[in-house]
Amino acid sequence: MSRPILPVHLLLALLVCGSLFAPAQARVVQARIAKITTPVASLGQVRVKLDWPDGGAVGTLDLWAARVDAPDLGYGYRDLHWQCRLQHAERDGWRCDGLLRSGRAAPMQLAVQLDAAATNASLSQGSARIALDRDAASPDLTGFELTKVPIQWAQALLTKAWPEARLTSGELDGRLLIDAGSGQPLRISGPLAVSGLGLETADASTAGEHLGGRFAIDYRTTPAVSLITVDGELHGGEFLTGNTYVALPASAIGLRIDALKHAGAGWELPRIAWHDGTALIAEGSAVFGVDASLDKLDIDIQSADMTPLRERYLSGWLGLFGLADVGLKGAMELKVQVRDGVLTQADAALHGVNLGDPDERFVFNGLQGDVRYSAGAPVRSELHWISGKLYGLDFDASTLPFESDGGLLKFREDAVVPVMGGRMTFRDLVIRPPQGEAGADIRFALLLDDIDFGRVSKALGLPAFQGRLSGTIPTAHYANERVEFDGGLSMQLFDGRVAFSSLALERPFGSAPSLSADIALDDLDLLRLTEVLDFGRITGRVDGHINGLRLVDWMPVAFDARFVTDNQAGSKQRISQRAVQNISSVGDASFMSSLQGKLIGLFDDFGYRRIGIACKLVNQVCEMSGLQDSHGSQAGNSFTIVEGAGIPSLTVVGFNRKVDWPTLVERLSAVGSGEVKPVVE
Amino acid sequence: MKQWLGMPVVGALLLSACVTINVYFPAAEAKAAAREFVEKVIDQADSTQIKDSSGGGMAMQTRHLDFGSSSFDPWMLLGIGSAQAQSAPDISIKTPAIQAIQSRMEARFSGSLRSGFDSGALGFTEDGLISVRDASKLELRDRVAMNAAVADDNRDRKAVYREVSVANGHPEWESQIRNVFAKQWVDSARGGWWYQSGGAWKQK
Repeated sequence: MSRPILPVHLLLALLVCGSLFAPAQARVVQARIAKITTPVASLGQVRVKLDWPDGGAVGTLDLWAARVDAPDLGYGYRDLHWQCRLQHAERDGWRCDGLLRSGRAAPMQLAVQLDAAATNASLSQGSARIALDRDAASPDLTGFELTKVPIQWAQALLTKAWPEARLTSGELDGRLLIDAGSGQPLRISGPLAVSGLGLETADASTAGEHLGGRFAIDYRTTPAVSLITVDGELHGGEFLTGNTYVALPASAIGLRIDALKHAGAGWELPRIAWHDGTALIAEGSAVFGVDASLDKLDIDIQSADMTPLRERYLSGWLGLFGLADVGLKGAMELKVQVRDGVLTQADAALHGVNLGDPDERFVFNGLQGDVRYSAGAPVRSELHWISGKLYGLDFDASTLPFESDGGLLKFREDAVVPVMGGRMTFRDLVIRPPQGEAGADIRFALLLDDIDFGRVSKALGLPAFQGRLSGTIPTAHYANERVEFDGGLSMQLFDGRVAFSSLALERPFGSAPSLSADIALDDLDLLRLTEVLDFGRITGRVDGHINGLRLVDWMPVAFDARFVTDNQAGSKQRISQRAVQNISSVGDASFMSSLQGKLIGLFDDFGYRRIGIACKLVNQVCEMSGLQDSHGSQAGNSFTIVEGAGIPSLTVVGFNRKVDWPTLVERLSAVGSGEVKPVVE
Repeated sequence: MKQWLGMPVVGALLLSACVTINVYFPAAEAKAAAREFVEKVIDQADSTQIKDSSGGGMAMQTRHLDFGSSSFDPWMLLGIGSAQAQSAPDISIKTPAIQAIQSRMEARFSGSLRSGFDSGALGFTEDGLISVRDASKLELRDRVAMNAAVADDNRDRKAVYREVSVANGHPEWESQIRNVFAKQWVDSARGGWWYQSGGAWKQK
């Protein structure tokens, strides 16, 4: 690849050579110079040949250099050859214009004009052009005018500052001044515009594309220390570093970075400022280690309008957590402090923030207040919200009283959240944020008080169960995407009692959330239950359990359930004809009646002594059984579901012990919607 | 003397009383299940047809068609088909949850991940997950979407390994199931795709 910085060095060479050759009258003059050293560059094994025809106005100059090196700028070239037409110019000067070749790279056009007062040179290739000018009065200063210069020409310079980065596309325009005075740092400064910049690091962890901007650059370097100031505006483009993806808006973003690097140490950024309108204003400082690891970071972030944040700054991270479409509105401030690569302090202040998952897995409205995290001394904060929703369950205004020290975030007192007509109290909550490989760890006690299960049922699309849910979970523990609840919940339902225990929730917001529980039912009023389920009337009481229940994606995949009526003195035990039909359909059963089957249709209801039905769901197959010690089970595979009493005496016997679960569910939902037409032989 | 002779018998009895029944991990069945799952995700067209071992809707249909035959059962009218019993040691991947994840993974694989594997950007890791091994193979804009797809897929993968072991009644098999799947992803990988082996990336 051709490299552009040459004019300076070549010119210097020319100056030297020019003074040698100018007076010569010979046709051909040659010279060899072992080494030419300038403040910026050195040339090695230089050979110059001038061919000037007698009496001619134009000569031919050939210049070869085996090596050209500009170590401070990171450039080095081999096998350069410049051939140009040399002629006199005004003010006793000289002008030479010709092709410059380096190795096998495409040739470039180099034109040099020099006289006693000034030196001008231009190097061009296609539409790209670098023009150089220098005044004899200030020989240390060299001006560069860059026009449509391919960014790759700046690769060597970038490699000095950032060895892993590779420039892939882009153009530079600008006017830079190089000050190479002896005894002072090499300084490059001036305005620089970049367009269509693409860059990528060797490990592809950082990459940018279509970046554009205008900056004032000030770069000073000595062997001991380098300083860069970049101040200007970014215009569009995108970049990715780690998991942070930034899609810059079309509007200008103010950017200022002051950076310095001592030899053998990492970069320090004493000042970083990023101004993206009302969306994001960030100001701070950072220190990196030699290995580019983040040692120290202090940053203040303000967002008066968080709406654009997701698309511009957060999409990379949100995507990783499966929250790419989460909605974010409101205003916030965030103060972050990192020491030795560890987050030591984070203070977030929220102002009317609305946060919502489009699938409504979670929604928080009107978040107000602050959350402060400290790895050291205790800090207090309070976060308030107006309303929210979690998996369809509404909750009302609440305040979370936070306290943080030693890297833990806690509740300093109970947080009471009104939920579905009742109250949910979080006690002794302790959050350990994710650290290194370990994910977040959350522990708390949970008290449910008088939650309206009717509203819960409605929200979850369950049948219209009516009841109040209460209970205590002494410890709940979230880790590795799994929440485990000790203790249990209980509720009054249909005049009886339902108890939930061994509750566990896996991947609550992840792939296929899974809930497991043991449920015990005691003395439920069958009449009210069957009315709600629209199952046909059964009077009496029922006990039962659903052990090892596991819902995946809220669909049951395993359980061991058994429901048996509970005979109580004085309670009427009747079952309607429709209920018999439905039980039969669910239980895949047959009537065993002392009457002719067709007579069943003549009666509205029957007396029963016991009803029992059980289903053990494994691998999509429900293994059915009925009353355990029934007389009807003598026929091998059959089992009694309903044992009649009185006249007419009716017995319902099931025959298929293994029933396909999806079909059963289909039947059950048909029962619920009243689509089953009783069929009686 | 007689007492002494009796000792081995008593000992044997005692021993047999102490024998605990171990349930061994059904490696072959797990491998078959993993193979079925993985092949379907990687390329449905390449995989052999998957037998439907449970009754389900098909059974119901058939029974209805048999309606006029001699073995008429009035309860067929109610549409209950009897399910076939599952043979004893089997690894089932037939639960709706696993199948829902599977079809999601299938869509994701053909939608975005396959191109990542073809280009060498992605690789199968040793722990049954996938990873972006060479981001430079991707356009910058695609990289963000690919990172998200990889994260989504890994969440699904973890859920599958967990749910397969739980659905088969042995949550403690999760890591073994995961190992079997990890091996299967590599076995089913097409030529040119990358996988991790002994910590290093290798190309198949």
